[in-house]
Amino acid sequence: MYLILSSIFFPILAGVFLLIRYRTPLSGKKNADSKALTTLTGCFLIVTAGLVIASLLTAEDGFTLFYLTKTLPIYFRIDSTGTIFSLLAVIVLLCAGFFSFEYMKHEERDNRYYGFYLLIFGVLNALCFAGNLITFYLFFELLTLASMPLVLHNGSREAVMAGLKYLFYSLCGAYAALFGIYFLYRNCDSLTFTTEGALRASAITGHGGFLLVVAFVMLLGFGVKAGMFPMHAWLPTAHPVAPAPASAVLSAVIVKAGVLAIIRVLGMFGRDFLRGTWVQTAWIILTLITVFMGSLLAYREPVLKKRLAYSTVSQLSYILFGLAIMNGTSFAGALCHVLAHGFVKAVLFLCAGAIIYRTGKTRVEEMRGIGKEMPLTMWCFTIASLGLIGIPPTSGFVSKWYLAVGSLESGIPVFDVLGPVILLVSALLTAGYLLPLTIHGFFPGADYDYNMLQKKEPCKLMTVPVLILTILSILVGLFPEIVINLIRMAVTG
Amino acid sequence: MPFVCNFPFFSILLSLFSGTVCSMLPAKKAKVVNRTVILAVGLMSAVLLLYLLSTGDAYIYWMGHFPAPWGNEIRAGVLEAGMALFFCIIMYLSMAGGAHKLPGEVVESKHNLYYILVNLLLSSLLALVYTNDMFTAYVFVEINTISACGLIMIRQVGRTIEAAVRYMIMSLLGSGLLLFGLCIMYDLTGHLLMSNIKESVGLLMANGEYQIPLIVSVALMCIGLCIKSALFPFHAWLPDAYGYSTVSSAAILSSLVSKGYIFLLIKIIYRVIGFDIFNSTRIIDVLFVFGLMGMIFGSISAIKENDIRRMIAFSSVAQIGYIYMGFGMGTQAGMIASIFHILSHAATKSLLFIAAIGLTDVSGGSRKFIDLTGAAYRNKWAGAAFTAGSLSMVGIPLFSGFISKLLFAQAAVQMEGKMLASLIVLGISTVLNAVYFMKTVIRIYTSAPDAPYKGITFRDMKSYAVALVCFILLNVILGVSSQPIVDMIGQGLAMFA
Amino acid sequence: MGPNLFANYGEAVSAILFCIGFTNLLLQTNLIKKIIGLNIMDSAIYLFLAEKGYIAGRVAPIVANGVTSTEAYINPIPSGLVLTGIVVSVSVTALMLSLTIRLYLRYHTLDLDEISTQLKKEGK
Repeated sequence: MYLILSSIFFPILAGVFLLIRYRTPLSGKKNADSKALTTLTGCFLIVTAGLVIASLLTAEDGFTLFYLTKTLPIYFRIDSTGTIFSLLAVIVLLCAGFFSFEYMKHEERDNRYYGFYLLIFGVLNALCFAGNLITFYLFFELLTLASMPLVLHNGSREAVMAGLKYLFYSLCGAYAALFGIYFLYRNCDSLTFTTEGALRASAITGHGGFLLVVAFVMLLGFGVKAGMFPMHAWLPTAHPVAPAPASAVLSAVIVKAGVLAIIRVLGMFGRDFLRGTWVQTAWIILTLITVFMGSLLAYREPVLKKRLAYSTVSQLSYILFGLAIMNGTSFAGALCHVLAHGFVKAVLFLCAGAIIYRTGKTRVEEMRGIGKEMPLTMWCFTIASLGLIGIPPTSGFVSKWYLAVGSLESGIPVFDVLGPVILLVSALLTAGYLLPLTIHGFFPGADYDYNMLQKKEPCKLMTVPVLILTILSILVGLFPEIVINLIRMAVTG
Repeated sequence: MPFVCNFPFFSILLSLFSGTVCSMLPAKKAKVVNRTVILAVGLMSAVLLLYLLSTGDAYIYWMGHFPAPWGNEIRAGVLEAGMALFFCIIMYLSMAGGAHKLPGEVVESKHNLYYILVNLLLSSLLALVYTNDMFTAYVFVEINTISACGLIMIRQVGRTIEAAVRYMIMSLLGSGLLLFGLCIMYDLTGHLLMSNIKESVGLLMANGEYQIPLIVSVALMCIGLCIKSALFPFHAWLPDAYGYSTVSSAAILSSLVSKGYIFLLIKIIYRVIGFDIFNSTRIIDVLFVFGLMGMIFGSISAIKENDIRRMIAFSSVAQIGYIYMGFGMGTQAGMIASIFHILSHAATKSLLFIAAIGLTDVSGGSRKFIDLTGAAYRNKWAGAAFTAGSLSMVGIPLFSGFISKLLFAQAAVQMEGKMLASLIVLGISTVLNAVYFMKTVIRIYTSAPDAPYKGITFRDMKSYAVALVCFILLNVILGVSSQPIVDMIGQGLAMFA
Repeated sequence: MGPNLFANYGEAVSAILFCIGFTNLLLQTNLIKKIIGLNIMDSAIYLFLAEKGYIAGRVAPIVANGVTSTEAYINPIPSGLVLTGIVVSVSVTALMLSLTIRLYLRYHTLDLDEISTQLKKEGK
């Protein structure tokens, strides 16, 4: 109990402490004591990570913190699905956190950044350890609020508008989900998470049709966070305006909260209840549209960080597609892709951040020869790109394999074949929008002026986190058995 | 009858007479008297509440030893005592939070007048809460109006006098309708005491006599109280009245005065007409529709507003819409949600008004958004408090606003007919709330390097900061441990019957 | 409807007066006319109450000539209510008048709309 609580509240309190202790100077200049700030943040991050790992290892029992109302407890519990998301969150947040110590040197108001970064860490832990829907919802809302300051970090008009857009979409989505929670609350014995469905049998026979509508509304609502069509527009606006490490966290981890939410909702309704209904069909159609559209938009996008954000839209819907198929194999593929995409997208954004930090270039066509200037960064970028495309032995291959096999096994008319086809087309598009960077980066062409070339490799504080994440993304691909076993546990409950 | 039972009478009388005493004292002493009286009344209400919770039954207190159909009565149950206690807490905190602004807003010689008005307002609120007699209620409604009007115009600038006139006119229309409705009711039943009227109304309904005049009378009373509590189409007076009066006045007016009228309406619904009879009329549908419209149009007006205090005032229109929507559902659950929202809104709105003044003070006194840029850095306490209040208004979990929305939604889910409309409007209004409150929060936390205004530290505003912290705590308590309060409301409503 | 209306003409008149007063208070822009409307409205209610309390052939409830039988007098409660109401309406009228004087001294007009326009011009 205490480990879980401390892994949630320690970072939150630490974040609040940083926000209060290191106040932003009124003149908008840099903090004088930014060195102390980064050291302190680093310690906090490591301690938090330690606490999370410890609570995962001890696998404590669930406990109720307090009762919100008589029948709505705030309840925490560790289960295997939560474990997977929590591992991803810890690793990415730790790496991106250390990366930002260097990166934030060229941004202002780093105290606010680190404060909210720690807040997000705590809220994410709470989200992974939440044991019932109402607890989850509580921290889901808090996550939106805590992550908004990262989006509008630089305070420009564009950033503030992006932040508001993010807020608006997220709140709309969360409200749609809350709408569903009211009905679940009425038709379930408890809101504690299960994997078999918690609806009362009488409710299913009584007004099953209406409950399907509720399920669809909840999927759409939580789908907003996961960037599902038609409510994806906030994502390509909000993610690129944040500082690069924050974009990495947003794209790799925070959007996964939407995925986790959908997994939980799926468990609450029960897969048997939804399988073969119009909800499943509509959901599959939406995800496939998103997969294809996201890749296409990324392909046409000239700004690197925006391109990566569109890619996130597309890749997240791979995961949602896996969930929508609703069988064991595709579910395993989806969870595997959660990890794969998490690591890979973090690497890609951090590399983009390193490029911006060292050269200030944001557009793809400016980045010719970048591989000569920053070879290590670009190698990581290339490996991550291959992972996202799904070339063996990288992580993306395993997950996409399971997704495709699961889809073919499912026997859903039309979509069992159409799904893998669209996934393949999208993978080609992914290659189309990521590989040109590598190609032009390492082979700038005959007319490239080599005399202009400078070594611009960033310092170790930036390269090491990127390297760790890259290695992890390969490991997931090389030893999928370990991951798959963990995921099996999650699938079976 | 134990001694505790005298407390409602004592508290009304104490606040009434302390007003008179204040008129003879210098401003400093009047302030002390005022604070002491509020505290004493709060204490008495708390003791009374504990007593009532232990006995578990309401009691009736004769004023002047005349028995039921003739004499004047006070009636105290859990809900009445709880409301009185809550009103005292909010009033004390609002006075404490606005005290530092008073010298700048009101001329020195009028300070004791200010405290008289506050005491008078408290006594009329208490009387509205406790009385069991309709005509007494009417008289105290008028006293409430007069003292509220005084609180608006005590800051003597053109705006406030005009606002006071407009407030007065709308209030008089409302109380005229209330009085007329009351007279028709008296005509029909021959009684003025709530319990007696209820019996007669039951008989009339059972016999099917005088249906139309009865409905007309109920409708007149409802419309009258709706006008006075600024339900949507009748809210034109509100933004100026709340927007330009002194800080404490704005906080007290928005969180207490309108709530007093709403509480009277609840009493009329339960104690005079009877909940079931009231629900069988079409009046609740009208209240429901106006409530929904208020929720949306209030928020839209708030979004368009460019003045922070008027924005908060418009937000009150939306919140009052919530309360009437709960009435309009016509179920016990809806009523409980509304009463909880009365508490939650009172705690939040006064917090917002008081926090807003802290922000405008460090922005050269301007209330325009553009000048408020970065104000939260210059006055950290006000910034944090405003953020907390906004989060509560938007309905973020752990704050009171979330619980009231949860209760409204739970009530709505049980109503097949009005479910979709209320849930959808609740959703739209939540999002609209989020738009203007978050816009403001972002604005005050956007740093403005070249702003010429000076910051302020804790040392300069101790009582202000403490009041803000208390308000935030009140909000969080309502949001975290709502169950005992909801139980108490349910118990109080059961005592009404 | 018709015969009832005729039999209760007192109530009908008071209702009409109430409406006149109400409309005046709501729609007039001149403050003094508004206050007159207020007074018409209140008087209409007192008329209604007095009408309700009156019983034909009896006298006001003041013991005169040693007659103590309740049969001789009209219902005293409405009269009491009217008295209380008059007190309330007098104080409200006084308050309104004082506010009107203040506004007049400041803006030299009794027209509420014009005062609002002037206020907007001041821009405060």
